[in-house]
Amino acid sequence: MRSISLFFRSVTKSLILISSLSIASVTMSFAQDAGAGAAIFKQKCTACHGIDKKVIGPALKGVHERHDEAWLLKWTKNAPSMIASGDPAAKALFDQYKPAMMTAFPELSDDDVKNIYAYIKAEGEKPAGAPVPPGGPEGKDAAADGEVSNFMLFGLLAVIVIAFLVILVLNRVIHTLERVMLQKQGLITEEEEEIQKDRFAGLKKLSKNKKFIFFVVLLAIIFLGTAGWKTMWNTGVNTGYQPVQPIKFSHQLHAGVNKIDCQYCHTGAFKSKNASIPSANVCMNCHNYVQATDKYDGEISPEIMKIYKALDYNPETRVYGNNQKPIEWVRIHNLPDFAYFNHSQHVKVAGIECQKCHGPIQTMEEVYQYSPLTMKWCINCHKETEVNHKDNAHYDKLMAAHDQLKKGQKVTAAVLGGLECGKCHY
Amino acid sequence: MESNKKYWKGLEELQNSTQFVENNKGEFSEKLPIEEVLNEAGLSTVAPRRDFLKALGFGLGAVTLAACNPAPVTKSIPYLVKPEEIVPGIPNFYSSTFKGQSVLVKTREGRPIKIEGNPNCIITKGRLSAQGQASVLDLYDVSKLKGPAYNGNTTTWPQLDQYVKGELNKVQAGGKKIRIVSSTINSPSTKRVIADFVAKYPNSKHVQVDAVSYTGIIKANENSFGVAALPRYRFDKADLIVSFDADFLGTWISPVEYNRQYVSNRNNTSLKNKKMSRHIQFESGMSMTGTNADTRIQLKPSEQGIALMNLYNALGGTLAGSKKLTNANAEKSIMLVAKELAAAKGKGLVVCGSNDVSVQILVNAINSLIGSYGSTIDVANASYQYAGNDAEFVEFINEMKRGEVDAVFFLNSNPAYDYVNAKEFSDALAKVKLRVSFADRQDETASLCQVVAPAHHYLESWSDANPLEGYYTIGQPTINPVNDTRYAEEGLLIWSDNAVKDYYQYIQNNWSANILSQSGSTWKELLQKGSVYLGEKPAAASAFSRDLNAVAQTIVNQSNALVKGGDNAVELSVYENVAVGDGKFANNPWLQELPDPVSKVTWDNYAAIAPKFAEKLGIAELDMVEVKTDKYSVTLPVLLQPGQAIGTVSIALGYGRTKAGKAAAEVGKNAYPFLNFVNGTFQTHTAASISKVAGTYELAQTQTHHTIEGRNIIRETTLKDYLKDPHAGTGKGHGANKYDLWDKYEQPGHNWVMAIDLNACTGCGACIVACNAENNIPVVGRDEVRRRREMHWIRIDRYYTFNEGGEKITEENEIKDLENMDNVSVIHQPMMCQHCEHAPCETVCPVIATMHSSDGLNHMAYNRCIGTRYCANNCPYKVRRFNWFNYWNDSRFDNYMNNEFTQLVLNPDVSVRSRGVMEKCSMCIQRIQSGKLQAKLEKRPMKDGDVKTACQQTCPTNAIIFGDGNDPESEVSKALQSERTYYVLEEINTMPGVGYQTKVRNTVEA
Repeated sequence: MRSISLFFRSVTKSLILISSLSIASVTMSFAQDAGAGAAIFKQKCTACHGIDKKVIGPALKGVHERHDEAWLLKWTKNAPSMIASGDPAAKALFDQYKPAMMTAFPELSDDDVKNIYAYIKAEGEKPAGAPVPPGGPEGKDAAADGEVSNFMLFGLLAVIVIAFLVILVLNRVIHTLERVMLQKQGLITEEEEEIQKDRFAGLKKLSKNKKFIFFVVLLAIIFLGTAGWKTMWNTGVNTGYQPVQPIKFSHQLHAGVNKIDCQYCHTGAFKSKNASIPSANVCMNCHNYVQATDKYDGEISPEIMKIYKALDYNPETRVYGNNQKPIEWVRIHNLPDFAYFNHSQHVKVAGIECQKCHGPIQTMEEVYQYSPLTMKWCINCHKETEVNHKDNAHYDKLMAAHDQLKKGQKVTAAVLGGLECGKCHY
Repeated sequence: MESNKKYWKGLEELQNSTQFVENNKGEFSEKLPIEEVLNEAGLSTVAPRRDFLKALGFGLGAVTLAACNPAPVTKSIPYLVKPEEIVPGIPNFYSSTFKGQSVLVKTREGRPIKIEGNPNCIITKGRLSAQGQASVLDLYDVSKLKGPAYNGNTTTWPQLDQYVKGELNKVQAGGKKIRIVSSTINSPSTKRVIADFVAKYPNSKHVQVDAVSYTGIIKANENSFGVAALPRYRFDKADLIVSFDADFLGTWISPVEYNRQYVSNRNNTSLKNKKMSRHIQFESGMSMTGTNADTRIQLKPSEQGIALMNLYNALGGTLAGSKKLTNANAEKSIMLVAKELAAAKGKGLVVCGSNDVSVQILVNAINSLIGSYGSTIDVANASYQYAGNDAEFVEFINEMKRGEVDAVFFLNSNPAYDYVNAKEFSDALAKVKLRVSFADRQDETASLCQVVAPAHHYLESWSDANPLEGYYTIGQPTINPVNDTRYAEEGLLIWSDNAVKDYYQYIQNNWSANILSQSGSTWKELLQKGSVYLGEKPAAASAFSRDLNAVAQTIVNQSNALVKGGDNAVELSVYENVAVGDGKFANNPWLQELPDPVSKVTWDNYAAIAPKFAEKLGIAELDMVEVKTDKYSVTLPVLLQPGQAIGTVSIALGYGRTKAGKAAAEVGKNAYPFLNFVNGTFQTHTAASISKVAGTYELAQTQTHHTIEGRNIIRETTLKDYLKDPHAGTGKGHGANKYDLWDKYEQPGHNWVMAIDLNACTGCGACIVACNAENNIPVVGRDEVRRRREMHWIRIDRYYTFNEGGEKITEENEIKDLENMDNVSVIHQPMMCQHCEHAPCETVCPVIATMHSSDGLNHMAYNRCIGTRYCANNCPYKVRRFNWFNYWNDSRFDNYMNNEFTQLVLNPDVSVRSRGVMEKCSMCIQRIQSGKLQAKLEKRPMKDGDVKTACQQTCPTNAIIFGDGNDPESEVSKALQSERTYYVLEEINTMPGVGYQTKVRNTVEA
C-alpha cells in the first residue's frame, strides 16, 4: 500500500511540477531582468528585507519611487560608506533603522543591482489581492500534496472495486440469460443440470485424499508458523516509525538542500551520549532572519512561527516574552532504558557517519526510524566494524597486545570486548 | 602464621543458637510455603487440569492483548534556550559547602545527583562522610514545605514580610527582647547578617545551641587558655592516642578529618616505614572509635572523671579525692597508659567525649603535662565547627518563662525536639508573641511557630562557612529552588531594612571586603576552588596553670551523682550514632537504612547493655525494657552489645522524630530528654533504672545476614609480628599449589582490581551511602531488612573476636571467653562482589546473565536475568542481592524511589532494576566506561586515577583503592604487592579481583 501511495505521490508531484514550471516560464518570459534579480534578491536580501513587509530593513515595495537609480546603485553596493560620508537620505535611513546597518555588497555589478530593482518593481506592482510569487503555487500544492494523493488513491481503488463488481454482475446476468435461452431452445436437459450441480464432486473427492490434506495442513502450518515467528520477532521493533511532530521540520531541506552539518544542531553527538535535539535558540541563529516569507505570501512560515511562539518571540518588535513553552517533540529512536548507548563513542571515536544508523536522513521530509535498533543489529555491526584505532593513542597498547595474541585477525569492536554484556547493560 | 582466632558477627552465631542455624540453612531466612501449596491447593485439588487450562488460556489472551498495545509515545523535550555550560548527558560539577566542608556537587541536566568531597578541602581532602553523601537526597524530600506558612496556612512572602515587620516594630516599641536561636553558625556572612539585624533591633541577641553540645570543651579552653573555641586536634601527629569516650572517628567534632589523620599513621605507607600509632580507648558503650582501638577498656561513665584524675596523678599531678576504680582492669590500664603517655611525650594525645567543663579542664591539664599543646593540639588554629553555648540557651528559656521575650527566630534549630524538656520549652514559647521558624518543614518547633519562612536547601543556595581558623569555604546553588523558599538571611535582611536585600550580593560584598582582600584571589577563582585558606598560624605551646582542686571536687561530686543504689540501677549514656547523627537527617532513608557500624541495626534505636549484665537482670536480647530516670522514661528493645561496660546502658540520640517526615516517622524513641543539665552544660550521662516490660521487638539488624559460615576470612596480626615478618597473619607461605580446571581469561587491556586495607577501614559506612547514591540502590525499609532483603551492594562486615591475651586458643579458653564476653576486639571488613576470575556465580546461571569480561569484571545483565537466584546461592561471598519487588513503583516501599519527585536524584547512567532480577557490585562500571570514553575522546591512554569507584572516592581513609592491575605503576598494583595482601577464601580458588590487607593491631603485651 505504502509503495502505491508513494508512487501516486511522486506521479502527482511530477505532474504538478511540470505544470507549475510551465506557468512559471510563462510568467518569467515578460521580465528577464526580474528573473535574474529574483535569484540574487533571495540570496542576498531576504535575510533583512521583504517586499511588502518590514523585516530588519524597510519593505522594498516602491523603493524606486523613493530614491533615484544612481543613489540606489551606490547605496546597495556600499551603504556604510554612504552613511559615513553624510549623505542626508542615507543618514535618515540609518537613523530610522538603528542600530542595524545595511551590509555592503561590493561583489554586485551594476547590472545585478538593476536586476534586483527590476524584480522588486515587478513584485511591487503585482495586484495586492493576488500576489503570485514564483514558486508560490508549487509551495501551496506541496502542502496539499498528501491529501490529494490519498484522495486519488482511495478514489482509484473505489473505481477498481466498482468496475470489478460491475463486471461480476454483468457476467452473472449474461450467464443466466444464456441458460434461459438454451433452456428455451431445449438444448439443456434436467440430467445435464444434475451433473452440472454435482460439479463439486471433484473437490469432495479431493477432500478425502489424505495425502492432499496432509500437504494442505503442512503448508498452512508452515505459512502460519513463519508469519507468527516473524511477527513475534518484530514485536517492539519499530522500524519505519514516523510519528507526527509538533513542527514539520524537514531534514531534507536543512541537511539535504542547505547542507547544514548535523553537528550544527545536534551538538551533543560529538561530546555526549545524547546527540540532543537542538534547543530553540539554535533554531533562532538562522530563523531570526530566515522566515521563508517568499513561500507564504510574505507571511512568516507557519512552521517557523511555531518556534517564535514557543519562545514567545515577537518578530515585529524582535522582543522575547516571558510566556515560553517548550516544544514537545516525539521521540523516534527509543532505545530501552537498560541499554546504554553513547553517541560520542560512535561518532567521534569510531568516526561513524550519522547515516549508518539513521539512514538517508538528508532526504527525509519527515524523519522515520531507519534501523531496527535491535540487539542483533547492534551486535552485527560490532562484529563487522573495524575499530578506528588510527591516530588514537588510547588503542596503542591494546593493538600491540592484540597483534601478539591474534595476529592478522581483523580488529573489530567485538574482538575488543564489544560484545560483553556489561559494555552496554549496566 | 595463620591465626586460629575465632571470629563471629553476632552472639547468635557465637552460641550457634537454633534460630541462627535454622535461618542459615536455606538460602532465605523465612520459610517458603512450598509444602503448604502442594498440600492444600496444589496437586490434590479437584480439577487442577481445568484450572490449569483456564489459567493458560487467560494468560495467553492477556499476553496477546498486552502485546497489541503499540509502543507508547515518548516525548523528548529539549531546552528552549540551552544554558551554555550544559550538554545533556554530561555532568557538571559545582563546588559547594556541607557542614563547612568544601564539596563538589555533580549535576545532570540541572539536577544535583551526587556529592563528592572537594580535593582542595583541607578538612576532607576530597573525601566525604555518609551524611554528606546522603545530603543530596534531602533536596528531594517530599515532606518539605512548598512555600511560606502563617498559622499552618500557606501565605505569600510579601504578606509574611509585612506581618513580621509590623510585629517586630511593635516588639521594638514595647522594649521587649528579641532572640535568634540557631545551631552553630560559622558562616561569616550569616553572622554578619545577624549582627546587622541586632544593630537594627538592639534588644535582640543571637543564641547558639547544638543538639549535641561541645560547650564543655569550649568553656574549658576559655578557662585554661582564654580561647573560647574548640582546638584543632592533630591525630596525624599523635603516636599515642588515648580517648575517654570520645567517638572521634564516628561523630565527634570533625570525624572525616580525624579519620584521615588517624589512619595516616596506620595505613600501608606508615607500616612500610615500620611505624604505627597506638590507640587506647576507655568507654562504656562500644563506639565506632572503640572498635578500631588497639586496646579497649570498659569504663563506666561515673568512673570516667576518677580515671582521668588517677591518670593525672600517675603522670605526676597531685589531686585530692582520687580513689581506686572498681574495675581492676581499668585501674591497671590507667597506670600502664600513664607510663606510655609519659614515654610518648609530645607525641601523645588525650581526648575526652565528656561535655563537662571540669572534666575537660582536667583533660587540658593532662595534655599540658604530656606536652600535647603545640604538637597534637593546636589552640591557635581553632576550629569553629561547634560554638553552641548551653547555659545561654537555658537562660533564654528562663527569659521566655519570665515573659521577657516577645519575638524569637529559630534558624536551623529544633529545641521542641532536642531540648531536654519539650513541655517546658513549648509552654515557655507560648508566651512569645512573634514566633518565626526558618525550618524547611513543619518540624516539632516550626509547628509551634506562627510564621514558617522555609529556607533553601544548601544545594539551592549561596552559602559560606568558616570551619577552621583562616579557612573559608563557599557554596553555590546547583539548582533553582524547588519550592517557594527563601534564604533565612534574606528574611533577616528585609526585616531589618538592610541596604542590601539580596543575599547573593551580600555574600559577595562581604567576601570581597573581608576575605578575598586577604587572600588576593578573585570571586571566580574562589568559585572554581571552593575555598580559601589564609594559611596556618604558628602553633603556640599553651601553658596550663590552674588550680585543679575545685575542679577535682566537682568531678568527684558528679561521679557520685551518677551512682544510684538498687538492683536495676544503671548508668545511662546517650550518644550520637554514625548514621542518623543528632536527628537533623532523620528523614533520610539512606541514612536510616545504613547499618550502625557497631550493632548493624537499621531503622531503630535500642538500649544496648552487656550480655553478662543482661543475664544478671534476667533480660534476653530483643526484650522490651523501660529505661527510666526521675524525669523521663522510654521503652526500647534490648540489644546485647559485647564490649559494653557492665552496669551501663547506651541509647542513641536522633531517633523518635515526630514531625520530620515519612521516613523518620515511627523510628525509635527520642533520647534527648535524658540529657542532664549539670554544671552549666548538657551532659550525656545520667543515673537511671532499667526494668523488663512485656513484649519483644525484632530489630532490623543485618549483622548475621550473608554469613560466611565460620570460614577463615579475616586475617589479622600484631605490629610486633608484622615487624618480624610482614607476611604475618596472611596465611601465606604454605606454598599451596594452584590447580586450574579453567582456561585463563586473557586480559590484554585492563584488569580492574581493588585493594582494601583492613587496617585503614574504620567502618564509617560512607562507602555504603556513596554506593547507594551512585548505583540507584533501593531502600527496602525495616520489615524487609528483617527478612534479610537489604539491597546494599557493599556492606561492612563487623566481626568480634576474643582477645587472645597471649593464651593459646583451646576449647577451655573459649568457654572461659564466653563468660568473659566483654573482652572483645572488632574488625571491619568491607565486602562487595569480588569479581572472581573463576566466579562460581557464572557457572550456575542457566541463562548466562552473569559473565566475565575481558577486563576482569563480572558483568551482570539485568535484562537477561530470570531470577533463579542460583548465583546468589553459589556465591561464597554472599554479595548478590535479589529484587523482591519493584521498589521504584510500589506503594509499600514509600521510601524514596517510588516517588516521582525523589526519583530525580537517580543516576541516569545506571538502570533501575526491576522486580525479579539479581544485582550486585559492578565496580561502578558506568564510571569505568565513561573514564575509558574520555580517554578515547582525548586520544590518550588511560591513566591511573581516571576511574574511581564511588566507594573509593568517598572513603575518608583511602582504605579502598581501585585501578588497573595490568598497570604495574598504578596505585592499586602497588597496594596489592604489599606483603599484607591476602584474598578472601583464596583456598577455594575463585581468584577474586579484590585483595585485602591484614589488620594490624598495635597491642602491648601486659
